[in-house]
Amino acid sequence: MSNDIIDGILEAIRLLFTFDRELWGIIEVSFRVSLTSTFLAALVALPIGSFIGLREFRGKKTLSNLINTFMGFPPVVMGLIIYLLLSRSGPIGSLGLLYSTSAMIVAQFFLAVPIITGTAKAAIESVDPTLKETILSLGANERQLWWELIKDSKKSIIAGFLVAFGQAISEVGAVMIVGGNIRWETRTFTTSIVLNTRMGEFGMAIALGVLLISIAFIVNYGLTRLQARGG
Amino acid sequence: MNLLEVNNLYKEFYKEDKSSIKVLSDINFSINKGECFVIIGPNGSGKTTLLRILGLLEPPTEGQILYYDKDLSNISRKKKVKYRRKFSFVRQKPVVRNTSVFNNIAYGLRARGMIWEEYINDVNDIIKLVGLKGLEKKNARSLSGGEMQRVAIAMNFVFSPEVYLLDEVSANLDPMNVKLLEDFITEIKQDKEKTIIMSTHDPLEAIKFADRIAVLNNGQITQLGTPNEIFTAPKDEFTALFVGYENIFSGLAKLDESTGLTQIQVNDLTITASSHIEGEVKVCIRPESIGISKNPPSNVSYRNNFKGNIEDIRDLGNICHLIINCQSERFLATITKLSLNNLELAKNSEVFINFKATDVKIL
Repeated sequence: MSNDIIDGILEAIRLLFTFDRELWGIIEVSFRVSLTSTFLAALVALPIGSFIGLREFRGKKTLSNLINTFMGFPPVVMGLIIYLLLSRSGPIGSLGLLYSTSAMIVAQFFLAVPIITGTAKAAIESVDPTLKETILSLGANERQLWWELIKDSKKSIIAGFLVAFGQAISEVGAVMIVGGNIRWETRTFTTSIVLNTRMGEFGMAIALGVLLISIAFIVNYGLTRLQARGG
Repeated sequence: MNLLEVNNLYKEFYKEDKSSIKVLSDINFSINKGECFVIIGPNGSGKTTLLRILGLLEPPTEGQILYYDKDLSNISRKKKVKYRRKFSFVRQKPVVRNTSVFNNIAYGLRARGMIWEEYINDVNDIIKLVGLKGLEKKNARSLSGGEMQRVAIAMNFVFSPEVYLLDEVSANLDPMNVKLLEDFITEIKQDKEKTIIMSTHDPLEAIKFADRIAVLNNGQITQLGTPNEIFTAPKDEFTALFVGYENIFSGLAKLDESTGLTQIQVNDLTITASSHIEGEVKVCIRPESIGISKNPPSNVSYRNNFKGNIEDIRDLGNICHLIINCQSERFLATITKLSLNNLELAKNSEVFINFKATDVKIL
């Protein structure tokens, strides 16, 4: 067993520094899928979340509870739902999206939307109410107020993007189910680690694990820097 | 037609547990264009809430706010923006946006759709006026409290609103900034197109600027009138304790070269004061500074001697309040019960009042 670990680490170093084609292919797929899904989710979730944060309306509390619940939605269940929708006999099966990076983007998109919505809403709500009133009393209309509040809470909003991205790239259940872990096509960090561990290919698994942890570290470092920065 | 009319305004806030707190009730008043209307009251009396409602930043629970007879209490968000742009709201603790001093001050004009060429001169002018020249590029949030208050004044005054809502603005200011603000208010007051509605807990500030004063206590207006009405005849104990008693007159001050003293013409009366000021002024004489005699005084140092008639005597226990009419003006004087009895003063009897030129405070 201890041999496995040492061999694995040596193999990992070799793979990383010889720029192994398969390893880099996996990195490329992971980033493409998670960045795209987070970006698309942000486009949808930022306006929705900030709008909910800005306005007072009937049923806001219920809606907020719903968003909070979906923020912790189990990815594997999301995978199952998207699978059922996209499978050949499903309602949109004819699109033939199952086992493609598009399907993975869709799944991660739906996981990221509640996270970004929830954080954007909280960010807007945490803006000092007197600042909000000051902007209004200076003559801002609702669109101008909205923009000022986004600017004022941009740190928290960006933090929300980073959290959503971190979740997406380290998520395994959904991409496994809807992507199918197809070599060269839909294999990501996480699904590859699962597969390689099962096959006893610890070198590849450790190399990917190290990379994934590094990404998590960078994302968290970014978050901390963001929070520490004044203004 | 009144600029603003407030009818049966009622406001309550809901707490977390759904219970409500009454903040304002039974508020009725109207404000004319060009007027300086001062709301005076202790902390927690509802002044800020009332101003926020007038500035359309908070809807009333019940009641109407009419702006030139147009009801503003139930209008769409879009219309609210339109009317809000006629007001500015300067708050006690200023809040600024996380951007440069220049951008903060230009914001109101930009929000109204003006472009750089249209607002640059106005913004630069007011920056000079409030003494922030050289700090334009600094982030407004990095400024000191006093400088930030200057930014707040500039950003609210630059777009020259119809109505200025000033919420206890001088409460946290150092003397230099108070002076700056008071100069602004004095200038706005001269423009009869502009209306000022300000709140304060400082009676002297109220006297200085008010055309009319509303006394707010516990969310209700307990008295409304001219400064002289309020300060010589407070309606209830609270008002008396809170505002204190003052004789307040408005008049035209002129320096008398021969004596070096200032003569203030208040209708038929000429009051002499020791401070050197000219122009439209308000003067205050504390009721306890006024002396009373039955006969015309002779060989006294008092510069101000007037013959009058006792209109009323209010017995307050050890002391008494005398209301004395001297030609066109009414004075309030405080004397002890003992003096009242010794002088055998009675209603409708003739008396002489006197006070020193140094006791006349010019505001």
